[in-house]
Amino acid sequence: MSRDIFIVSNSTDELGGVTAWMHQTARLFAGQGHRVHAIGIHASDLKMALPGQPGQPAHPVTALYPAHPPTPWTPHGVRDRFRLPTRRKEAARVAAKKRAVARLSEIFATARPGAVVIVTQVWAMEWVGEADTTGLRVIGMSHESYGYSRASHRYRWIKNHYKDLDHWLVLTEEDADQWAGDGMNNVGFLPNALSRLPVVPSPRTARTVASIGRLSDQKGIDLLLDAWALVAPARPDWRLRVYGAGEDEAALKARCTGLGLDGSVEWMGRTDDVERALAEASVFVQSSRGEGFPLALLEAMASGVPCAAFDCAPGVREIVRDGEDGLLAPAGDIAALADRLLRLTGNPRLRDAMGARARSGVQRFSEPETLRRWEELFAFLER
Amino acid sequence: MSDFSCVITGGGDSEGPGGADALRASVESVLGQSLRGAEAVVVLAATAAPAVRTAARALADRAPGRVRLIRADPAVRTTGALRNAGLDAADGRYVLVLATGERLQLHACRNLWQAGETSRADLIAGRWSRITDEGGKEREPSWQGELYARSRTLSRFTDAPELVVRDALVTGFCLRREAARRHGLRYEEDLAHGEILFGPLAAAAVGRIALVRRLIVTGRTVPDRARDLAALVEAHRRVANTLLAHGLPGLCEERERAFARDHLVPLARTFPQLPAARRDRVTAAAARALTGSFRSDLPGLPPLERVAVNLLARGDAEGVLTAAYALSRPATVCAPLTTGADSRVAWGGDPERPGIDVTELGHQYRTFGDARLMNRLTRATAERGRLLLEGRLVLPGHSGPAPGTPLTATLEFRARGGARAVAFPVDEVRHDGDGIIWRARADVSRRLRPVGMHDTAWDARLTVTAGGPDGPRSVSDLFAPQDQVEEALRFAARPRLGRLAGDTWEPYITLKDHFALRLTARRRPARTTHRLVRYATRFRPARKAKLLVRSLRKRLDRYRSRGFKVPVYNTWLTRLPVRRGSVVLESHMGTCYGDSPRALYEEIRRQGLKLHATWSYDPSPAGFPDDARLVRRWSWRYLWALARAEYWVDNQGFPQQLHKPRHTTYLQTWHGSAYKRMGFDETRVRLQNAPGRERLQRAVDRFDHFLVRSEHDVNTLARAYRLPEERLLRTGYPRNDALIAERDRAETEGRLPRPPLAGALGLDDHKKTVLYAPTFRGGPGKQRRARLLLDVREFAERFGDTHTLLVRAHYLESARLPLCPPGTVVDVSRHHDVSELLALTDVLITDYSSIMFDFALLDRPVVLYAPDLEAYAAERGSYFDLREEAPGPVTATQEELFATLAELKKSDTRYADRRRAFVRRFGPYDRGDAARRTVAAVFAPGSSRGARHTIDHDRGAGR
Repeated sequence: MSRDIFIVSNSTDELGGVTAWMHQTARLFAGQGHRVHAIGIHASDLKMALPGQPGQPAHPVTALYPAHPPTPWTPHGVRDRFRLPTRRKEAARVAAKKRAVARLSEIFATARPGAVVIVTQVWAMEWVGEADTTGLRVIGMSHESYGYSRASHRYRWIKNHYKDLDHWLVLTEEDADQWAGDGMNNVGFLPNALSRLPVVPSPRTARTVASIGRLSDQKGIDLLLDAWALVAPARPDWRLRVYGAGEDEAALKARCTGLGLDGSVEWMGRTDDVERALAEASVFVQSSRGEGFPLALLEAMASGVPCAAFDCAPGVREIVRDGEDGLLAPAGDIAALADRLLRLTGNPRLRDAMGARARSGVQRFSEPETLRRWEELFAFLER
Repeated sequence: MSDFSCVITGGGDSEGPGGADALRASVESVLGQSLRGAEAVVVLAATAAPAVRTAARALADRAPGRVRLIRADPAVRTTGALRNAGLDAADGRYVLVLATGERLQLHACRNLWQAGETSRADLIAGRWSRITDEGGKEREPSWQGELYARSRTLSRFTDAPELVVRDALVTGFCLRREAARRHGLRYEEDLAHGEILFGPLAAAAVGRIALVRRLIVTGRTVPDRARDLAALVEAHRRVANTLLAHGLPGLCEERERAFARDHLVPLARTFPQLPAARRDRVTAAAARALTGSFRSDLPGLPPLERVAVNLLARGDAEGVLTAAYALSRPATVCAPLTTGADSRVAWGGDPERPGIDVTELGHQYRTFGDARLMNRLTRATAERGRLLLEGRLVLPGHSGPAPGTPLTATLEFRARGGARAVAFPVDEVRHDGDGIIWRARADVSRRLRPVGMHDTAWDARLTVTAGGPDGPRSVSDLFAPQDQVEEALRFAARPRLGRLAGDTWEPYITLKDHFALRLTARRRPARTTHRLVRYATRFRPARKAKLLVRSLRKRLDRYRSRGFKVPVYNTWLTRLPVRRGSVVLESHMGTCYGDSPRALYEEIRRQGLKLHATWSYDPSPAGFPDDARLVRRWSWRYLWALARAEYWVDNQGFPQQLHKPRHTTYLQTWHGSAYKRMGFDETRVRLQNAPGRERLQRAVDRFDHFLVRSEHDVNTLARAYRLPEERLLRTGYPRNDALIAERDRAETEGRLPRPPLAGALGLDDHKKTVLYAPTFRGGPGKQRRARLLLDVREFAERFGDTHTLLVRAHYLESARLPLCPPGTVVDVSRHHDVSELLALTDVLITDYSSIMFDFALLDRPVVLYAPDLEAYAAERGSYFDLREEAPGPVTATQEELFATLAELKKSDTRYADRRRAFVRRFGPYDRGDAARRTVAAVFAPGSSRGARHTIDHDRGAGR
């Protein structure tokens, strides 16, 4: 059955996991014959290359604002209340929001019966919640672990915006249980899909450990460097390749030099060809402080590269079955991560066995499987 | 066919309260389900009340497709039979039975359905909550959290034994209808509360069970245990038999215990609220129901619970009442105690009946005047216009005044929440075997004169003094069950504000089961005044005014909050000029006057330096020195002192948010060498987000001097906190000077006489002193009560004759110690200075605490008791292998620890060398003159001005 599906995200083309997820899922749904419309609250300056053919993706993409809309203003103190320019700006913001909501309602009004709105990030609910969604089924999503949400302002937002939704989704059952224990009984779970399985797995012959991710605090590259400082003396012929760019780049490079790792760490910068990067690696390492359902880990495993990772979220435990198709270290425990890296780099047989198991095991998150779960969910919500 | 059938019965014999409203609430909760294919099957008994019938018909008319009305056969009367009829009529894929009044959560059916479809289980269960007795508040049973910690699928019910041990499956679960039919699952028709049996039967019959961590049902009513006790016991017995039939005697025993705790103990607790006739009836019924198969000597139950269950089974109504009082006041001795030949203590003084062992309570170690005694009011009546009270005070067998001792007593009424009290003489006090009988006549009308406002309730207390005015005295409240005071008992009252404020004294029993008097209005003038006052305080302007006052108070509170103080301090107070020669000292965030800051303070005083000292305390200034200025931590005076101080001295860290003024020198003495990872080496800190780590870094950057006692500290602490070399002072810890002095003294003069503190703590010179000081196990947060890993009572039993145990909990935690024989266990957690305690300790027991590094300086035996060494080291991380380097034997079990302690004399020589090596590695800079050297380095004129460094945030301040 063909449906109208609207996927709403914070941004249409921002560099990041959720936006990539939005376009990937939109493509999947479109492939099934659904009419998909991807909506971003705003267009972004830091653009990502949209998937599909260079140029336009197959599905329509709409941004409600040309750039990030201003945040609401709350007066602090008496003097602030009488500041006219700020008041004028605030009034303009409210008017612009009204227009954006009207536009969103217009888009929704074109839907046929049985249409679904998927809100991928809770911030977008500020608009979707005000738009006219009669006759539509709204499904919320949170692409991060419960613990990570709990520590941020998004916890309140989720509690406020998703409480009255028909259904909303997190990435793993463990997260769903934690939310349910917190009074959210309308929560379900659905893991992210692996976008594609490379035809040939990595040969796992290069003496290279790869890390792929933004160079930001959340990804914990500083922890990785500390761990590598313990590994490097024992494995002088191995190299750590760090792919990615980000705001912490300079600080991290300085730290690397400070640790005396310049000879053994290679800074590769941003890469668009993740597959090649993985084909040149034998071990993948992830040292994040917080994650949701890390696609980088999925991709590495699909390439047959065994992983060492911090067990920082239920999503990581869900993807990597510790000791079977990868090795997990307690989150933040540098010595343990170094130990896992030493085990993987020192034992080619272990690498091959785990890599092969990882490649086959990760197919439980394949696109057809995920698509089936989505269709099942749509049918279930109509019961 | 619908997806989900919910069976609801109306008019059965064991229906809860509520009738039509309850039925409506249940059915409406089904209609409101997010799963639209949910139907309600309402089974009406022929005998159902007309209101229930009308309500059911109206609901069926409202949603004809989704509410089915089934009129049961007139012969069918019991709820169980009605439910069976409902099960027969249900046609959904899943079927769920709701008791009347229970409500399904909005997404209940959806959650159960989804779990059932994905797991292919036949029984799907989720959480439910019930209305607790007080105030109609909903609460989930406490055991449910663990049972439903994770959603999961069980292959058999024994994988989650709590399902059948507790009454977990009384509601909130559904069955695949086809499976229910296949296994022939039915309610027992002759059994009230048949749901208690049905759930476990179903769980045992079906194969796969899915548990979902979702709230399914709310509004379950707790059964009236006093009324339905026989039925509850019968249902429980049948479940137990089912478990036995499945060959699970272990679960059966656990179920017995759970039943006692969940039903019998709560029943006993309600006794003071029941009228006397009802109490007798309930105990008689309990005795009938519980004789025979029920084991009342349940081993796993705490002592008082065991007493209550036992007395209930014996049918002793007065005894259960006493036990109920004891349950709500565990520290009060409520019954005479008898001590047997084996020094076990039994409850009750009746020699014919076997007593119940309550040795654990430790009442035997308390003496008259020290123990709280139950004072049972036996009579309260009016006699010639006076209040006549009679009562009996229980005396435990082992202590109390001898029969011949002269006794005096006074009865006192005290205004609640005030200080005023009026005492009345007691006419008669005399011994009576295992108690003291008293009788008082109080002329409350004339003698008790309340003001008439704010002092309308007066509580009664009795003070009994034995053997003259200076003898031990026992103070007790008067306990009575709620029905003890007759309705008509009243006395004239004469408030000082006049008769308009109230005119009658009315005796009553408080919610805590104590006798008290209250001032009421019975005549018209007083009643009118009360009504007027009530109106004036409740009508709309008054309510508005109250709200205004509340919001004003809230605003005022904001000015006292830390969120307000911090910016004021950082932007304004730090600009204040320095006060030359002023020092602010703080030890362990103000909790004690001790540690290195104290040693430094005393050194400063000894040298007579012209420094103006301020100590910070939190929460109480008791024990702090008189000759220093004392400020409460976080008070405005504290912030003022910090802002103007020339020196900050502290062993842990002044509040992180506070900037250091640029004229201040910060001496961080630190509180111990590290075994576990600290600072930026800690996993918890590493995982914090960047702003969190920066906050810590900024706080650490405030330190100008940091004391270290070895190169180990330099490699661990200094590195973990990223302290540059020039800020380290290699002087050792000033607090340890006392230990080195003590070691030298012991070597030259011997250990005796001990310091005067030994006498104050009641330590015997012939006994060895053992100090148990475990480390801090909690994380950041409010949980401050830790369970000790060492069984203190067992220690007292094994070593009480030869050893005295001092217990010191970590300064952030507190421990509750069980009562032990006097002189065996002493709680020293509140003592300010650990060094003083260490000086008189012979043997130290610790785990990972830094105290071992200090104690090793004394060259006395240390035993490490670390039952969770591997787990702790894995979780917190460590800087060295404790087993390799420890200054004494490392024990993992209590048995091992006791064995080591028993033969310490022999084995200790083996560890002497290790101990010295330990000191050489971890404390080489501790040479006994740390305080002098630190003072010279920091406070001596001209010494440290150059060492002070400025940090970024200083630039904003002091311009």
